[in-house]
Amino acid sequence: MAELVFDDVTITYHPPGRDPVEAVKGVSLTVPAGGSLGVAGESGSGKSTLAMAVLRLLPRSATLTGRVSVGGHDVQDLSWGKLRALRWSEASIVFQGAMHSLNPVRRVGEQIVEALELHVKDDYATEKAREQRMRDLLAQVDLDRSKETSFPHELSGGQRQRVMIAMALACDPDLVIADEPTTALDVIVQDQVLRILRKLVAERGIALLFISHDLSVLASTCDRIAVMRDGVVVEEGPSHEVVTNPTHDYTATLARAFPTIGDPTSRLRPATRVVEEAAPADDPAQGGIPVAPQANPDERPILAADNVTVRFHTRAGTVTAVDDVSLQCRTGEIVALVGQSGSGKTTLARTLLGLHRADSGRVLFDGAPLPASPKELRPFRRSVQLVLQDPSSALNPRHSIYEAVAEGIRIHHLPGDERERVERALDQAELRPAAQFTSALPHELSGGQRQRVVIAGALALEPRFLVADEPVASLDASVRGEILGLMLRLKRRLGLGALVITHDLGLAWNIADRVLVMYRGAIVEEGTVEQVLLDPQHDYTKKLLAAVPQLA
Amino acid sequence: MTSALLEQDVEATDADRDVRGGTSFWRYAGRKAGGAAFSLVMVVVLGFFAFRILPGDPTRSMTRGRIMSPEQLETLKRQFGLDEPLHTQFWIYLKNLPRLDFGESYVYRRPVSDLIAEHLGATLLLTGVSAAIAIALGLWIGQRAAWRRGSWFDRLNTGSALVLWSVPTFWLGLILLLVFGGMLHWLPTGGLKTAGTTATGIPLVWDVIRHMIMPVVTLVAVTYAQYLLVMRASLLEEMHADYLTTARAKGLREDLVRRRHAVPNALLPTVTLVFLHLGGLIAGAVTVEAIFSWPGLGYLTYAALSGPDLPLLQGTFVVFSSIVILMNLAADLLYRFLDPRVRAA
Repeated sequence: MAELVFDDVTITYHPPGRDPVEAVKGVSLTVPAGGSLGVAGESGSGKSTLAMAVLRLLPRSATLTGRVSVGGHDVQDLSWGKLRALRWSEASIVFQGAMHSLNPVRRVGEQIVEALELHVKDDYATEKAREQRMRDLLAQVDLDRSKETSFPHELSGGQRQRVMIAMALACDPDLVIADEPTTALDVIVQDQVLRILRKLVAERGIALLFISHDLSVLASTCDRIAVMRDGVVVEEGPSHEVVTNPTHDYTATLARAFPTIGDPTSRLRPATRVVEEAAPADDPAQGGIPVAPQANPDERPILAADNVTVRFHTRAGTVTAVDDVSLQCRTGEIVALVGQSGSGKTTLARTLLGLHRADSGRVLFDGAPLPASPKELRPFRRSVQLVLQDPSSALNPRHSIYEAVAEGIRIHHLPGDERERVERALDQAELRPAAQFTSALPHELSGGQRQRVVIAGALALEPRFLVADEPVASLDASVRGEILGLMLRLKRRLGLGALVITHDLGLAWNIADRVLVMYRGAIVEEGTVEQVLLDPQHDYTKKLLAAVPQLA
Repeated sequence: MTSALLEQDVEATDADRDVRGGTSFWRYAGRKAGGAAFSLVMVVVLGFFAFRILPGDPTRSMTRGRIMSPEQLETLKRQFGLDEPLHTQFWIYLKNLPRLDFGESYVYRRPVSDLIAEHLGATLLLTGVSAAIAIALGLWIGQRAAWRRGSWFDRLNTGSALVLWSVPTFWLGLILLLVFGGMLHWLPTGGLKTAGTTATGIPLVWDVIRHMIMPVVTLVAVTYAQYLLVMRASLLEEMHADYLTTARAKGLREDLVRRRHAVPNALLPTVTLVFLHLGGLIAGAVTVEAIFSWPGLGYLTYAALSGPDLPLLQGTFVVFSSIVILMNLAADLLYRFLDPRVRAA
């Protein structure tokens, strides 16, 4: 018998005071007992709403028509008591963002035991048996015993997600729903978490409903994949078929969003849906993205690190976050700095920006050491701009787009007409027509548009170099290509160089000229993108490449 | 612009090394106690100079209504040390402080410390009982109101709490006094116990309770709204947290989700504010004690103010301020126990 069935499910939200929104429209899907189904889609596709409907966790403002049944029970018909009994003991959820899905003030061990207490079975009828089981569960997800008394904030993202998985398996459910369980984790940790999930699900014959925006993650985990867009399933079939031979354009867009490293069609050509208005200098053969001028290696680097070491002094001792690193960045060149979280790449970037002092070594700007006083740093601050990961939190929600872009112009007292400068910057960031955006507030824009505003704010100061920290990590797959394309075009048109910090090797393949691989504070490998990604020398680089989930 | 980068750094170092613990509790406590000590010093200094700025000659107010010769006034001044220059007076004041000697009251002609000791118990009884009731009531209604936001329970309780909060303390006290004391004769109108009573044991306790009802009701009524609103607001913040969805998905009953998961998190910001608001309670106590002739520090302050009785004012000022400072210190230390994230920070 089928484990989880969605039969013509339509879910409508009724926000007070606004028109109802259909988040899921007539979806019919089946997850057979012991089978696995991946649901792919971007934000707003209704995939998470669908997941919440399985355990009837939707807010009261949502109405559902159709049938959702778990193990033959129609979830809608169950009494509250029966529903509570079904929750977790028959179907459990691994939520996205394990930082927030665990109670911050309770120890993780207690949180696992709590689930066991609610659904007492013979195997763990006593307090002692429950504690034993909790320890077994933690061992199964490769967590050390000492972690049971930890609070969530004391664990890393990957460890928290493993606690979540241990908790989901606690009551031996027949079905596990994983809602973006690896989003925000870096490739190596993602790989670990996926391995554990795959192994446990296979060993116990648990059915799996896996939700993700990343087709390659789904392809590596699930038997079948369904692609959702705007509440509708646009394509469904065996994983291999869907990713290698998509029948729907949208699936193809999603599949292209994350490039295959080594595939020449995606090299310096991020997937983009925007039809380029061909600028005269652009080479049409490059799909609207102009040929990059090669940075001249003899040119003096605009930003360089000279044997930089940064240490943090914590109670646990001294930690060397950046260990004797030297690098050069030139205008007209995009350098990707790749590494796991905790590798020290963000600290290195902060040091390059003069936000953190190096314990030894020098940071050189235009060949001269960075000045120490804030006043002397001003010309540097203007020339080197920073683009952050999450545009929603980088923009002040109460400032209009005009204000956001004009702020830097005012701080640096740039001459000329302010409005003209703002509109030019918005135009350069391809927010056209610029006048249409100036009075908007950040929440009225999409994620991609917001990131363009952040970039426009940087461009308004006519910088020569950008430092971008995970510029597309919080954006939807289809928007990702657009922002990366923008960075490539800025390099071509304005000769702008960039240092892009990322854990995403596909991004490096898409836009970078050179790659630096950082591991435990040191740069372990350096070279052109082709050299490093196609012919890696260092073990760590090989490990990183191996952890990238591949389509098909 | 840099905060996101900073956070990532913290995440990165935490992630790699599982830093447990953080700075030791004693270092944290030491830092907080140091801050409290500094505030106390400021209070001591302020307590001396602030009241010297008050207009009027203390010897005149001491002898109000009596005819005194200039010589007699001089003697009086010398007796209280008021003929000394200000800095010498301050030095004497500082020297006597460690022995809790605030000098002699002008009005009562007795050591201030004795007066304070006599009245402290009554105030602690009144404010302690009122605070306990106001906090319990405020937090309980606050979390229920937040959980069922917009329901009749929420609207009725939040509304009436706000009305009571905006009512002037003295007005509410006088109305109660008029209705239950003057018209209905249900409750005694003033004091801590019936004058000249010889009762002991249970009858005495009962007598005190009857005297306490009106002052306590007044104090609770005008203060519980702040606890209610703080609790309601911080629980509303937590209501949409993801870990509550996790708890629901685990199959917890709705009131367990609230009690076990939502409330402990919502209490964190509440605790600090609750202790901060205790200062307001003490201010209210001055008014309430004056209205109901409650023989506590507030009543004493009221009497000292109408003097003005400088040593007595100084004494009560230092005691009241110290109580508030100690409460804040207690809040800081308690917060550390409640929030594991602060414990490690």
